[in-house]
Amino acid sequence: MTDNPISYFFSCLFVLAAHIAMLANVFINGNYDSITSVIVLSCAVLILDIAYFVFMLFFRQSSYTINFLLILVLNMSVIFQSCFGGVYFSVKHYITAIAALAACHAGYLLCRDYRWLQQHRTFVYIGIGILFIAILTLTGSRSMWISIGSFSLQPSEFIKPLFVLACATSVFEQQKKHRILCFNVVYENLAPLALIILICLLQWWCSDLGSLPTFAAIYISGFLLRICYPKAKFSKKTFILACVILLAAALAAMKFAPAYVQDRLHTDIWNNTDGSGYQQSQALIGIASGGWFGKGPGKGFLCNVFAHENDIVFATICEEWGLLYSLMMICVILIMIAVPLINPPRSYYHGTMAAGVCAAFTVQMALNIFGSCNMIPFTGVTIPFISAGGSSMMVSGFMIGMLNASLTPTIIHRKQRRQPA
Amino acid sequence: MKSIKRCQFVISLFIVVFILGMAALVVKIQREASFYMMNSGNHELGMVYDRNGDVLFDGSLEDSDRKYEDNYFIDVGNLIGDNKGQMTNTLVAKNIEKLNNYSFSQGLVLEGGKAAIYTTLDHKANRKVYDAFGGNDGCAVAYNYKTGEILICTSLPSLDVTKGYDNIADFRTGTLISKAMYGTVPGSTQKVSTVISALEIMGADRLFSKRFTCEGKYTNKSGDVIDCHDAYGHGTLDIQQAVEKSCNPFFAQLIEDDELPLSRLKEVYKRLGYAINGSESEYIDINGIQCEKASTTLNDPYEFKTQWGCIGQGDTLVSPVQLMMWQSAIANGTGKMTMPYLIDKVTNVHGRVTETAETSYSKALFSEDTADTMRQILLTNGANNYSYLINGYTIGVKSGTAQVDDGKKENSLLVGFVDDKALPIAFCILLEDRNSTSLKTENIAQVMLDALSE
Repeated sequence: MTDNPISYFFSCLFVLAAHIAMLANVFINGNYDSITSVIVLSCAVLILDIAYFVFMLFFRQSSYTINFLLILVLNMSVIFQSCFGGVYFSVKHYITAIAALAACHAGYLLCRDYRWLQQHRTFVYIGIGILFIAILTLTGSRSMWISIGSFSLQPSEFIKPLFVLACATSVFEQQKKHRILCFNVVYENLAPLALIILICLLQWWCSDLGSLPTFAAIYISGFLLRICYPKAKFSKKTFILACVILLAAALAAMKFAPAYVQDRLHTDIWNNTDGSGYQQSQALIGIASGGWFGKGPGKGFLCNVFAHENDIVFATICEEWGLLYSLMMICVILIMIAVPLINPPRSYYHGTMAAGVCAAFTVQMALNIFGSCNMIPFTGVTIPFISAGGSSMMVSGFMIGMLNASLTPTIIHRKQRRQPA
Repeated sequence: MKSIKRCQFVISLFIVVFILGMAALVVKIQREASFYMMNSGNHELGMVYDRNGDVLFDGSLEDSDRKYEDNYFIDVGNLIGDNKGQMTNTLVAKNIEKLNNYSFSQGLVLEGGKAAIYTTLDHKANRKVYDAFGGNDGCAVAYNYKTGEILICTSLPSLDVTKGYDNIADFRTGTLISKAMYGTVPGSTQKVSTVISALEIMGADRLFSKRFTCEGKYTNKSGDVIDCHDAYGHGTLDIQQAVEKSCNPFFAQLIEDDELPLSRLKEVYKRLGYAINGSESEYIDINGIQCEKASTTLNDPYEFKTQWGCIGQGDTLVSPVQLMMWQSAIANGTGKMTMPYLIDKVTNVHGRVTETAETSYSKALFSEDTADTMRQILLTNGANNYSYLINGYTIGVKSGTAQVDDGKKENSLLVGFVDDKALPIAFCILLEDRNSTSLKTENIAQVMLDALSE
């Protein structure tokens, strides 16, 4: 960063300009009783922006692209969440946004060195085990929340980054094959398989089947990169067999899904606008009434619908800010997870890790957005960084830190290039 | 580096699939946003116009508004309907989304929205026909058999939708439906279908060579008696005379004839669109309005019920619209029905035309030869028996008297077409309880054709 102060300056300026434009919109079009609420919100957002820009100067990284995108999207999220139903300053979401920033740097620091990660993989399994036990013992009667005073934690969220790490692999690890009967087995590949089975059982026990596709996507990305790495004797038979098993599992899941899942699979929301289709129908009406440019911050009606700030948050933003702005917001998140396409992962291990993070983020966004818009069955998953919820924000921050850690260190890269000369 | 590219490929795969999904979502929202808004209870409706720009429905009208004179909409009240939810099979109820003064880019347009449906109806002509019923119940429907435009469709009793439904309990039976769309006992107008079937199966020469005798009643091969409306009998008749006299014994004997096998009769009836012997009936779609299709019983050619059904009594039901559509297949000389429509064009909130009507035809119900022969039979009937009743037009017609309420009441029907390139009209008129009035279907036909030729 310090190598390129012009880039740093203009990146800061871009983020600040984007947030100031949003705050100006709140000021001009927003629904507020007192200007104080807008001033407080503006100050909070701009102070966090500037504080983070300063903090970045002291935190040496190979690349800061993701950090700029992260602060951009997090403060966008703070502004969105502070406007639902009327402008006020959402302190809780602000704190979770700061926690997400901190988690991002923690993720970066922990995941930079893949050798260290591989050596300590056992801790990943132990972490998952502890979370399993916590869910089984502390969440009460088969739910997914642990309540501590006025706070609630969702431990299954914390399994996601650990599972991404469990699914990450190196080419070297894939060479350690063992002959069992007539199969060449990589022992290390059995752990993710066992974990995904256990996670399925756990999610079923918790009645939280909505998160399963996210875990399945992480596993699928890991599985694909295990059977398709360059020196692997890629077996089409294995691939076809895996597809058949996956299809059979999906069909079986559809057939034997619990009643509440079956209901969501087959519900006609427009014939159940007061029942099981209430949230989705209201969400779609909200999007339609918002149009391209929205009704104005705080002027929507979706704030009266349950889970407007997380499960149907896309629609709530569409209603107040317009579909165009919501698409831009999604675009920023997509750019963030697409950074590894421009700045390639530093190792195969980091590549598989980045793919896992990307899979988790895209599937979560798809489940939330397409589910609330009645394109797929409705689930209660969150949009990373946008939906309210501490667990989700911190985990998303940590995972984006993992993604950041996977990028090729450009400074080192340049130094290496200079050496031959 | 190759290994890293694999990772990037997987990342790209997830992102591309997600972007495709988002694109589909945007398209879906764009296309369905109006529908969502209609379900929100917060909408601004536009207008429905007739072919000359007369208002048939005004979505901006509040309950207390008295913008239009009393009963202004009554002639089309149960066809055009409103958005109150009391009538579900009406033009407005079935096309309410098209009237939504909303666009995704503009949102709800509270004033000056141009969402509208321009119908093919002629309000003035419709009103004249409505008035011609003189308070009697029934319905009349007429359309251009070349283009398919429905010009007249009125049904009595009707209602003034602007007055609301506070006294709905006092509404007479049938007030909230357009009877033209619902099955009714067709009486002898059914004989048109039977003659078409006989022509298809036997051919014109064989059918015209047939002679049957009417002695006022006919005891069929099962021992049941088919009465003729002329107790003295019509004597020996050929098919032309039988149609003109509407002779029941002739048709009972025709159904029993070995040259008209039941299996083939069923085939032709099915082609015409009948649901036979309780098979599931379908609907004719007229811009979303569901029009009932015909149904009848064809079990045994010697059985009373089958013969009675082919004569047009008993459990045979045909909607006036379908009777009119068969006339178009005859009048066109092609054996193909011209499909009727009510909506000429639709404009959106900006006034831009989003939908325009196109003429379409059914598949061939019968051959061109059959159509031609049937056309001649009806035109001869018109010339011989109706030229002095309906003046000024060359028409092919068939009348019918339907026994309803277990024979306690009789409805009068008239189906036909005008054989004139300048006035290509096919029509059907139903006058209920004909014995309670001196009015005749021919009188209504005269008013209708005069109004349309103005």
